[in-house]
Amino acid sequence: MKKSEPMSESYYYILLCLAKGANHGYGIMQMTEKLSGGDVTIGSGTMYGATSNMMKKGWIHEIMSDEPGQERRRLYQLTDAGRDALKAEIARLRRMLENAEEV
Amino acid sequence: MTMEYKTSHRAYAAWNYRQEIEDLNRASEQGWQLVRGGCFFSRFVKNPDVRYRYQMDWRKVEDMGRYIETFREQGWEYVSSSFNGWHFFRKFYDPALKEEDYEIFTDRESLQAMTRRWSRVVMAIGAVLLAVALVTFIQEIRTPNLPRLLQTLILLAVCVFLMRGGLLMRSLGTIRPGDNTLLHAFLLFLVVGWAGVMALLILRPDFSIRQYTAELSEPYEDNRFAEFEVHYPDFYYLDLKIDADAPFVFSIVNEAGEAAYSVTGTDIDEENIRIRLKRGKYWFSASCGAGVELESYLN
Repeated sequence: MKKSEPMSESYYYILLCLAKGANHGYGIMQMTEKLSGGDVTIGSGTMYGATSNMMKKGWIHEIMSDEPGQERRRLYQLTDAGRDALKAEIARLRRMLENAEEV
Repeated sequence: MTMEYKTSHRAYAAWNYRQEIEDLNRASEQGWQLVRGGCFFSRFVKNPDVRYRYQMDWRKVEDMGRYIETFREQGWEYVSSSFNGWHFFRKFYDPALKEEDYEIFTDRESLQAMTRRWSRVVMAIGAVLLAVALVTFIQEIRTPNLPRLLQTLILLAVCVFLMRGGLLMRSLGTIRPGDNTLLHAFLLFLVVGWAGVMALLILRPDFSIRQYTAELSEPYEDNRFAEFEVHYPDFYYLDLKIDADAPFVFSIVNEAGEAAYSVTGTDIDEENIRIRLKRGKYWFSASCGAGVELESYLN
């Protein structure tokens, strides 16, 4: 099996922010900043490129919001493949962290 | 109130797009707000009451609605897109924000993806032009002439310039590009060089005597016809097809009556006969003891 490449920080945080439910770009950005304590920001160019690529990979897909006041707003939702990719990345990061602790 | 507009023709090399952003920000500070960004035509409107920060992105957008929305969510207003794939965005200037808060690429990977997309396209164009240059180069070896030589050199220069640009764009972030002087000099060279090629082509004699055909039934001697003028010394190429009932002489003579080219026979069918001609007036000349069918084409 081909070893999956390490994910970029932006990809990782976008997937992470979608793990608990669909969200729009702005929500992802805010949540990322909050989670990372302001260390990680996702600019619009990075966001569009990352979401486009992840849609092509089939990791996320687009849905329209049906919440009142937010109708027709674009939301991103994690797919099963996306969840697997996120889990694999978390496992990779955990292993790296454990390795560091062993040394 | 009437709006005051201005158009800027300033051109930027893609690898200097940061410079363009800086200039747009400075123009905004001075009251000129970009309304349409372009390669050679950027349009501004006068409005000293607002101040924007600009950003540029290069990509082929598949979903324009989603693209614009992704930017709008973070306070970016879509300005316009240029024919060559650049998209312009602006955001109200907020003195409380840091400079890096205006970045649209917040990681190395996405910035590199952008510069590499551009680089790939430009390298591909460069490769196609290189192939064209190779074809003209081979033609130039087989039938050398001045306009094509110039054309080949220009094509090669364009290839070098584009490929160098592609490499520069790829390594943006690790290197600081220079200014736009080279781009402007190159564009000037391109315009002047191409005008030169066109002028040389127009001045070639084939435009005045593209093709000469004659069918003569009477014997004749030293018959001058098809006068043409050569404007610059070069190699010219003659296609000649003659079918005569008796031996004939075909020549190209100058004003002094000297033959620059001469052939004798009863019938001939040859292409690309190389003849070196100097500046001046020339005629085709033929002598034949019987009827002749003649077809000639000089370029």
